[in-house]
Amino acid sequence: MLIRAVAISISLAVLAGCAAPTRYIDPAADDGPVAMTMDYRDFEKAATAAVEDMLASGAVNNPDGGRSIMVVSRITNDTMQRIDTDQLTKKIRVSLLRSGKVVTTTAVGLNRAEDEMTQKARELRESDEFDQSGVQKKGTLQAPDLSLSGKILQRNHKVGKEQQVEYYVQLSLTDLASGLAIWEGETPIIKRGSDKTVTW
Amino acid sequence: MKTLLLASLLVLGLAGCATPPETRSSLVDRPELKVDPDIIYAADVTELFQARVEQPGGGSLLQVQFAVEARSDADMAWKVTWFDASGMVVKGVGEGYRTATLLTGQTRYFTATAPHERVASFQLHLREPR
Repeated sequence: MLIRAVAISISLAVLAGCAAPTRYIDPAADDGPVAMTMDYRDFEKAATAAVEDMLASGAVNNPDGGRSIMVVSRITNDTMQRIDTDQLTKKIRVSLLRSGKVVTTTAVGLNRAEDEMTQKARELRESDEFDQSGVQKKGTLQAPDLSLSGKILQRNHKVGKEQQVEYYVQLSLTDLASGLAIWEGETPIIKRGSDKTVTW
Repeated sequence: MKTLLLASLLVLGLAGCATPPETRSSLVDRPELKVDPDIIYAADVTELFQARVEQPGGGSLLQVQFAVEARSDADMAWKVTWFDASGMVVKGVGEGYRTATLLTGQTRYFTATAPHERVASFQLHLREPR
């Protein structure tokens, strides 16, 4: 019994010793292996391409001066992975905000407002408990000028003994006044690797 | 009492003449192009342009374009860091290096656009991914 316990303990200790140590990865200096699934570097690549192209095209400039107001519409995840598309849109929003040219409204959304507090705070107009001078007035919300929509696609192919996974990040920026897509971009992300890798 | 007043005025006067703290470093000697020796064996940077792209409604954005000619098949990683007129870093979209594959004899052109109109200069770094 004792010998068995000692043997198990030694085995566990050896296995633990073989495991890769947990470590921090610095996104600014990451030369690590590439995953067949979409990882943070892919989102960064797609967001960088989109933002740089949007800024260079002048599509996000407000012709009346000031900042354009953008709303994030539907970004469809048509891949085999569970992707939170905010990973992509947040990077784009942050960069556009930092550019000083675009501000995103969180008061409007396809299903509901991203931040429902904008409406909730207005319900205080009915309450005698609140100093009404601090309650938001009617007609102060800003309507969006631009809408960001898109899709992330995935296609898998067998190439010889390997597997090729293609991702396409497609984005459109629509001018809500005219309904026209004033900017469009597509970033392909192509990976080739082991056929045994599962990409979902 | 008069001596004390005179001494106080003298001290205040001297303090007023003191040099204000230096806010600009004189150590800045930042090259626009930095190429690691590992990649020099495989590729040459043959062009490096910068231009300001006029924006509708005024203002302009700094844009950089560079060309790389490959002597042999190689992988390359590149990154542009942006600086404002004071030499401070202006954050871009991502922090990571962008990768590219070069085929022998191929010349590839890459562009990058500054994230803000206040960007005044840049540094391009080319390296070989590990």
